[in-house]
Amino acid sequence: MSGGKLGKTRIWLFLIDNLETWPGPKFSSGFSCLVSSQGYPWGLGESHFQSDLDGRLLLSEGQYLPLIEVHKPAILPGKLIHKLCDRVASSTLLEDRRDAVRALKSLSKKYRLEVGIQAMDHLIHVLQTDRSDSEIIGYALDTLYNIISNDLEEEEQDDSEEENSQKQTEDLESQFTEIFIKQQENVTLLLTYLEEFDFHVRRPGVKLLTALLKQQGPQVQQVILVSPMGVSRLMDLLADSREVIRNDGVLLLQQLTKSNAAIQKIVAFENAFERLLDIITEEGNSDGGIVVEDCLLLLQNLLKNNNSNQNFFKEGSYIQRMKPWFEVGDDNAGWSAQKVTNLHLMLQLVRVLVSPTNPPGAASSCQKAMFHCGLLQQLCTILMATGVPADILTETINTVSEVIRGCQMNQDYFASVNAPSNPPRPAIVVLLMSMVNERQPFVLRCAVLYCFQCFLYKNQKGQGEIVSTLLPSTIDATGNSVSAGQLLCGGLFSTDSFSNWCAAVALAHALQENAPLKEQLLRVQLATSLGNPPVSLLQQCTNILSQGDKIDRRGSKVQTRVGLLILLCTWLSNCPIAVTHFLHNSANVPFLTGQIAENLGVEERVVQGLCALLLGISIYYNDNSLENYRKEKLKQLIEKRIGKENFIEKLGFISKHELYSRAAQKPQPNFSNPDDMMFDHEFTKLVKELEGVLTKAIYKTTEEDKKEEEVKKTLEQHDNIVTHYKSVIRVQDQELEDLKKQVESLKVQNEQLQARVTQQVSQIQQHKDQYNLLKVQLGKDNQHHSSGNDVVQMNGVQSEEISKLREEAEEWKHKLEQLEEQLREKDSLIEVLKSSPPAVGTSEGSSQTKTGLEVESELHREAETLRAQIHLQTTEIALLQTEKQELLQQMSAAPAPVPGDRGTETADLEGRFTALLQETKELKNEIVGLAEERTSLKQQLDSANSTAAILRTEKSALQQEIAESKKEQDDLLVLLADQDQKIVALKNKLKELGEPVEDEEDTESGDQGEEDEEDGKGERED
Amino acid sequence: MDVEVTQDYQCVGKSCLLLQFTDKRFQPVHDLTIGVEFGARMITIEGKQIKLQIWDTAGQESFRSITRSYYRGAAGALLVYDITRRDTFNHLTTWLEDARQHSNSNMVIMLIGNKSDLESRREVKKEEGEAFAQEHGLIFMETSAKTASNVEEAFIDTAKEIFQKIQEGVFDINNEANGIKIGPQHAATNATLAGNQGGQQAGGGCC
Ligand SMILES: Nc1nc2c(ncn2[C@@H]2O[C@H](COP(=O)(O)OP(=O)(O)OP(=O)(O)O)[C@@H](O)[C@H]2O)c(=O)[nH]1
Ligand SMILES: [Mg+2]
Repeated sequence: MSGGKLGKTRIWLFLIDNLETWPGPKFSSGFSCLVSSQGYPWGLGESHFQSDLDGRLLLSEGQYLPLIEVHKPAILPGKLIHKLCDRVASSTLLEDRRDAVRALKSLSKKYRLEVGIQAMDHLIHVLQTDRSDSEIIGYALDTLYNIISNDLEEEEQDDSEEENSQKQTEDLESQFTEIFIKQQENVTLLLTYLEEFDFHVRRPGVKLLTALLKQQGPQVQQVILVSPMGVSRLMDLLADSREVIRNDGVLLLQQLTKSNAAIQKIVAFENAFERLLDIITEEGNSDGGIVVEDCLLLLQNLLKNNNSNQNFFKEGSYIQRMKPWFEVGDDNAGWSAQKVTNLHLMLQLVRVLVSPTNPPGAASSCQKAMFHCGLLQQLCTILMATGVPADILTETINTVSEVIRGCQMNQDYFASVNAPSNPPRPAIVVLLMSMVNERQPFVLRCAVLYCFQCFLYKNQKGQGEIVSTLLPSTIDATGNSVSAGQLLCGGLFSTDSFSNWCAAVALAHALQENAPLKEQLLRVQLATSLGNPPVSLLQQCTNILSQGDKIDRRGSKVQTRVGLLILLCTWLSNCPIAVTHFLHNSANVPFLTGQIAENLGVEERVVQGLCALLLGISIYYNDNSLENYRKEKLKQLIEKRIGKENFIEKLGFISKHELYSRAAQKPQPNFSNPDDMMFDHEFTKLVKELEGVLTKAIYKTTEEDKKEEEVKKTLEQHDNIVTHYKSVIRVQDQELEDLKKQVESLKVQNEQLQARVTQQVSQIQQHKDQYNLLKVQLGKDNQHHSSGNDVVQMNGVQSEEISKLREEAEEWKHKLEQLEEQLREKDSLIEVLKSSPPAVGTSEGSSQTKTGLEVESELHREAETLRAQIHLQTTEIALLQTEKQELLQQMSAAPAPVPGDRGTETADLEGRFTALLQETKELKNEIVGLAEERTSLKQQLDSANSTAAILRTEKSALQQEIAESKKEQDDLLVLLADQDQKIVALKNKLKELGEPVEDEEDTESGDQGEEDEEDGKGERED
Repeated sequence: MDVEVTQDYQCVGKSCLLLQFTDKRFQPVHDLTIGVEFGARMITIEGKQIKLQIWDTAGQESFRSITRSYYRGAAGALLVYDITRRDTFNHLTTWLEDARQHSNSNMVIMLIGNKSDLESRREVKKEEGEAFAQEHGLIFMETSAKTASNVEEAFIDTAKEIFQKIQEGVFDINNEANGIKIGPQHAATNATLAGNQGGQQAGGGCC
C-alpha cells in the first residue's frame, strides 16, 4: 500500500478544492491517491504516472506532484459524481461534457453503484444527443459497460469483505441492466452505435451489448428480435476487418444466440456458417487460437438442438468443410492445450449433427454426408493413429460411434477399418482389446463400449459377424489372430468386474432384436479346464452367476452379476428355445427363487430385481415344452417360495434404481465411476417393455390362465366367424367388383350409343346438306319453281314440303303432258305439212310409284333392325336391373345380426356391411340413372332414326323425280331435235317443192333449249 | 376480434407447399410454423445444378418481426394466399409493402393462390389474382399443395426468373446480400417464399 512500491501504475487522480470535505471512500486496493491543487475543483481522470520513493508523482509532462496516500476518509465520491453528472447535464460546452463523462468513466469501475445510480440517465442522454462526437459516445459506452459488466479482471480482490461486496455488485449488474433495457429504445439506440464504424464507438458498443445479454439474455434478445433487422445488423460485425471487433463480435453472437432458436436461425440465414468456417480456416483450424474456440462455441450454439439449422448446415454442404479439421497428421508435433480444446469442440460439433436425440431422418442424412465427404474416414484415421492424447482419442471414439450408429453404410465401413499394425487387425478388435483391458482409462473403455453398441445398433449383418466369431464352425483354430468373440468371452470371464459387465452388455447388443442369433448363440461351447467336457456359453454364464461370490474379483461383485443378468434377460426374451435351454439346467430356477426370496442388503437389490426379471421372462416366453417347468408350475413356485407381492416388489427394484433412470436418458453410457455402470440404455428399453406384461402374467391365477385359454379358444372361434364373414365380404366384394365392371361396360355401351347418335345426327346433317344441294340444283334446273325449295327443312315441316314437292311433280307431269300436247299439235302440224307424217312415240310412262315402294320397304327394314336393337338393349337393361335387385337382396340379407361377444370386430363387420350396402345403393342409383339416360337416348335415337328415314325417303323420291325429269327432258329434247330436223327437212322439202313456209316456225325450233319459256310462249300462243 | 383476424392469416399452406416441393408429400394436419423452418432441394435449370434453399416463415402475426429478417438476403419470394379465404387475399397489399420495404429491390416475387383443389369453396377468382399480380408486377400461379398441381412450376419458375436476372447481370453474384452464391460446381439461389405476412424464403448456398 505504500507509494514506494509503485512502479508504473494506472491511478486515478483528482484535483479537488478541499481535501477535508471528502470523507469518503476507501481507496482500498491497489494504489490510489489524491492530489490537491489550488483552484481546481475536480479531477483529471485517467493518466499514467510514475512515482518516486519520496512520494512524489511524476506526471507525464515531467512535472512532479506531491503524493498523498489516503487512508482516512477524505472525500465523498457521491458528491464528486454528482458534480460530474451536473456538468454532463448542464454544460453547454461539448469539451466540458466530454471531460465529465471521461471522469465518470474513470470512477465507474470502483464506484459502480454510485456512478450507476447517478449517471445512468445522463449517460443515456449523452447517447441520445451527442451522437456526432464519437469520443464522448465512446466514453459513455465504456462507462455504461463498466457499470453493467462483471468483468473484474482489473480489480484485485483479496479479502472477504471485498468478496461480499462483489456478490452485492453482481446483483447490481443485473439491476442496472434491467434499468437500462427497461426503455427498449436504449437497446435500439445501442444497436445503431454498433453500426458506427469508429473503433472507439463500435468496440465499447459491442462490449456493452454483450454484457447486457450476459445479464438479461432473454429480455435483450427479445428487444433485438423485434427491432427491425436487429439480428441481421449484428452479423455485420463478423465482416469487420479489425480483428478485435470481429472477435468481440463472435463473443457477442455467442451470447445473442444462447437458447433462442429464432435468433439462431436468423444468424444462420445471414451466412454465419460460411463466415465462421472461413475464420476457422484462416486461423489454421485446430492450430488456431482462442478465436477458433469462440467460433466453434458459436457454431455449437447455432446447431445444437436446432433441426432447421442442422438441415441448412447439411444442405449448404458445410459438413464437407469440417473434414480438414481432422487432418491431424501422425507426426503430432505438438498438442497445445488450445489445440486439444479446439479439437474437442470440433468433435462435439460433429456429434451435435448426428446425435441420437436428433430426428432420425435428419441424423441419418448427416451421417451419410459424413461418409461421402470422407469425414468418417478421417475420424477413423485419428482413431488408429498413435500419440493422440487420451481425451481426444476418447472423444473421437464417441464421435465415430454416433456417426455410424444405425447407419448401415457407415457401420459397414467401420467394420472394414483396419489398424495399421502387422498383420493388420480390424479396428473393432483393437478397440475391444482396450475395452477389456483394465489398465486403459475408464472413459476410454466406456467410449469403446458405446462404439461397439453403435456399431451393432440396427445392424443385423454386424451382429451376425460378431456372433459368428464365436460359433464352432468359424472359430480360427490356428489362434493366430484374436477375434471379437474371443475378446468378449475373455472379458466375460475375466476377474475384472467392469470387463465382465462391458463384455456382457456388448454381447447383449449383438443379440438385440435378433431372434435367430439368440438361437445360434446357444450352440456356442466353451472348453473349460483340461479333461472336463466343454460347457455351453449359456451354462457358463449361469455358473458364474451362481458361483460369483466364490471368485476373487477386482471391482464390484454386483456389477459382474448385473452384467450377466442383463445378458441373460436379453438372450431369453422373445426366444422360447433359449428359455427351454435355460430351464433345462435344474440348478437355475432354485438359484433364482433363492436370490429373490432372500433378504439381502440394499446393494444386492438390483440383482434381486434382475433375477425376478429373468424368472418372469422364463415364464412369459415359456412354450411349456418342459413338463417340470410349465408356466403354471413356475407360477406356483413363485407363489409358494416368494409370494406374488414380494416378487412384483423385487421386480420393481430395477426401474426404481437411481442409476436406471440415468441410463434410460440416452444411449451413451455416461457415468463418472466404474462402479456406477449398472444399466445399459437398450436394456432399460427392454425393462420398460416387459415390466407391465410380466406383472400381469404373474398376477394371473391358474383359473385366469385357463380362462385365458378359453378366451383364446373363443377368440379362435370368433376368428372363424370373422373369417367366415370375411369370406362373405370377399364374395360380395367380388360381386360388387363385377357389378362395377358391368356398370363400366354399360357406360361404354352408352358412350358408343351416344357416338352412334352423334354419327347419325351428322349423317342427317349430311343428308340435309345433300338435300339442300340437290334442291339448289333442282332450282337451277327448274327456275320457275322458285317457291319454298331453299327453305331448310325441319323435322316437323317435312311432310308439308313433300306434299309441295308432290304438287310440283304433279305440275311437272302436267307440263309434260302439255308439252306432249304441243308435240302432238306440232306432229299434227307436221302431219298437215306432210301428207304422210311419221308416227311419233309419246309413250314415256313414269315408274315412280314402283321405285317409291322399294325405298319404303328398305327403310322399313332398317327401322325394323333398329327397333330390334333397341328391344335387345331394353331387355339387357331389364336383366341388369333384376340382377342388381337380386344382389341387393343378397346384401341386405347377408349382414344379419352378427353373433359373438367381441363387440368391436362385429361392429367393424357391420360397418363394412353398411358401407357395402351404401355402395350397392349408390351403384343402383347409378344404374337407374344410366337406364334413364338410355331411355332418353333411345328416344333420341328413335326420333333421329325416323327423321333419317323420312329424309332418306324424301331424298330418294326427289332423286328419282329429278332423274326422271332429266330423262324426260332429254327424251323430249331428242324428240324435239328430231322433229326440228324433220321440220327443217320438211321445210326444205317444201321449199324445194316451192311451197311458202312460215317464219314463225323457225324461231320456235331454234329456241327449243329454253323449254320453259318456249312452253310459256306456247301456252300463250295457244 | 383482432385476434381472430391475425389467426386468419395463417394456414394458407406455405409449409405444405414446401413439403410437397422437397418431399413430395402432403400433410393434412396443420402444424403451426414457429418462426421459420428451412428446406432445400436441388433443381436443374438450363443444364445447371442449382440448390434452392427455402425458408418457410410463420404466418402468425406474432412472428412477423422474426420473419421480416428473412427478406434481406433473399433472391426470391413466394407470396401465398388461400383462394378459399378472401381475407388472406385482402391482406396481400400489406404483406407486399412489408416485403418490398425490407428486401432487395430486385427480389423476384411470385404470387401464389393456393388450395386450387378446393374449387367448390373458392372465394377469390383466378382473374383477381392475375389482376393483382399484373398491377404489382408479380408472376402469378394457382397451386394445390394437396394435389401437387403447379407446385414444381411455382418454385422452378421463380428460380428460373432469378436465374435469368443473374444472367442479365441484375443480381451481383458476389454480394451475399442478394442471396445468391456460386459454388465450384453448382450455383445456388436464395428465394423467399412468403405467405401473406408470412412466407417461405429460399436462400442459396453452394455445394
Ligand atoms: N385442400 C388443401 N388443403 C391445403 C392445401 N395446402 C395446405 N392445406 C391445408 O391447410 C392447412 C395449413 O397448411 P400449412 O402449410 O401448415 O399452413 P401455413 O401457411 O404454413 O401456416 P402457418 O405456418 O401457421 O403460417 C393444413 O391443414 C393443410 O392440410 C391445399 O393445397 N389444398
Ligand atoms: Mg407453416
